[in-house]
Amino acid sequence: MVRLLVGLLALAASGALMPAAAQASRNQFSIGADLGYVQTAGYTSWTEGFVGKLRFDDGSDGLVLSRSFIEYLGRISDTLDANVSAGIYADDLGSPVDLTEAYLEWRPVPRSRNKYRIKLGAFYPRISLENTGAGWTSPYTLSSSTINTWVAEELRIFGAEFSVTRRPMALGGNHQFGLQVATFRGNDPTGSLLAWKGWSAHDRQSRFGDELPLPPLPQIQPGMLFELQDPYVAPFREVDGRMGFYVNGEWQSGSRMLVRAMHYDNRADPTIIEDGQYGWYTEFNHVGAQFSLPGNFALVTQWMNGSTVMGPFVDGAHSVDVEFDSKFFMLTKTREDNRLSLRYDNFEVTQNDQTFEDDNQEDGHVWTITYQRAFSDRLSFAAEWLSIKTHHYGWVYYGIDPTRTETQLQLSLRLRFSN
Amino acid sequence: MRGIEERNNIRAGCLALLVAGMFLSLSASAKDLKVTVLDADGMPVPDVAVYLQADKSVALPPPAAFAVMDQVDTRFDPHFLVVQSGTEVRFPNSDVVAHHVYSFSNPNDFILPLYKGNAHPPVTFGESGVVILGCNIHDQMLGYILVVDSHAFAKTDKTGVAVLPVDDVPVTSVKIWSPRINPKGEVLSQVISDGVSDNFVFRLSGKLRPAHDSGSGALKWSDY
Repeated sequence: MVRLLVGLLALAASGALMPAAAQASRNQFSIGADLGYVQTAGYTSWTEGFVGKLRFDDGSDGLVLSRSFIEYLGRISDTLDANVSAGIYADDLGSPVDLTEAYLEWRPVPRSRNKYRIKLGAFYPRISLENTGAGWTSPYTLSSSTINTWVAEELRIFGAEFSVTRRPMALGGNHQFGLQVATFRGNDPTGSLLAWKGWSAHDRQSRFGDELPLPPLPQIQPGMLFELQDPYVAPFREVDGRMGFYVNGEWQSGSRMLVRAMHYDNRADPTIIEDGQYGWYTEFNHVGAQFSLPGNFALVTQWMNGSTVMGPFVDGAHSVDVEFDSKFFMLTKTREDNRLSLRYDNFEVTQNDQTFEDDNQEDGHVWTITYQRAFSDRLSFAAEWLSIKTHHYGWVYYGIDPTRTETQLQLSLRLRFSN
Repeated sequence: MRGIEERNNIRAGCLALLVAGMFLSLSASAKDLKVTVLDADGMPVPDVAVYLQADKSVALPPPAAFAVMDQVDTRFDPHFLVVQSGTEVRFPNSDVVAHHVYSFSNPNDFILPLYKGNAHPPVTFGESGVVILGCNIHDQMLGYILVVDSHAFAKTDKTGVAVLPVDDVPVTSVKIWSPRINPKGEVLSQVISDGVSDNFVFRLSGKLRPAHDSGSGALKWSDY
């Protein structure tokens, strides 16, 4: 951890000595490091294999290197880009450095009102309206909404996305409509964490090789129903050889408004287990919208509703059968170099199966308030307070209170360098 | 000959109004032509291109050395530029991010990658017409260049008024265009004919399209 920190600081210092880039070059590197002070109150974190909704807990209170990333954007030709992003974490969920995205994007210059794009590789599905910065970071808050926290935990497309957008000039040129269709492999265990851990709120992005710990569920213990399940989830594995898909539609009006709606279906076979990972048949609908408001305000909102099932279909239900739902509203305001963001999340997991000692029902809400001040393009400060209240009945298995409010105060120095 | 006649008519009109103009208006010189653009409700319409169509038989004075269509905060700045045909337009890219500017507007179509270290040759727009600009990296970017066969052009101000100098070049009509009136390129025109004053008013009948608004800046769009 200390070595990593020193290395990153050296990297950051070398970045600080680089002359400011007047314009983007064909090979663009972005490096980011968030150094923070964290104070939490709550259960031991899910990242330590327990049920805490946050990334941090009593054990990590104090100074932390909360996140760092390296992003490379190479323009192979004027219309072909290579994007590679790596995340660096000082935890035990994988190797210190691993990839979060790696893909090619082909953007032929439009010859008509239709624009075509093709993405090929491993990338985030077109969901988050928060994580628009380099390294899939958010310009609004430190911790993501519950929806985008789950996207970072368990969703990645290993496949291709085909996109067509059109700007009808009859509407004045401000409006643009897009349709994206993707097909992918992997993502078969996706849904495990939502069912067995539930929603969370943090800023950790799973890397390709990460193994995400599960709580000590009674049914995954030796001799129990799901004893073949590893004590962790490897969400990007391919288990059944079946391709998944998503379809997304978008409507954008200038830089004022964006509305998107998606249907995602991983088409996994819920009856298969391979190498300790079950297939979870996960599908959901997602709607997101963002609006630029007067007075340098903006509103960002997303809603996701879906289901995930695992195990054979017996007596009207799969062994694990849950519906999940989450929505958030975020109001953000900028004033010169200052930004203030306030977000409210509401989340729920509804249990439809009757499996004994595997109650995954939960509901709760999150309040997040974040203040940020940018000192330069390279250095900014952020202070965030987050409170997440959860009722999760299954927590009684561990002899803890099933209703708990966990809080986190985070102060962060965010360093960003690019050539 | 017709051009000269019209010019003389305009001059005569100008002279006739000169005395009155001295009393009524101190802002515009006698040789200026004032164009006012109003919407259907009579409200002024700003940022409308106004230009004088020269007689086809006359050679126009050479265009300005160059014009600039910059890229600032992933927007085209200005959103809408008017240039005389044959003008070199420079695209300096003041952003840190790369842009890939293009237009498929015939016959002024072009592709211009804007990276660090790349020479960005200016684009010369030889033919009149509307050039719709896009960025192949940032979908939300939209800009317009109106290329006119005219040496006398301006954009209306907040009060919907543009003032054009009248010189020795014979002109036949005054024309206006804005993406808010017709983004595809059809222009509105009034003939400069006998007995006309130096004061033209365009009263738009149709509903105007909303002004291009790039948002408040509180939203951060993906910029890669």
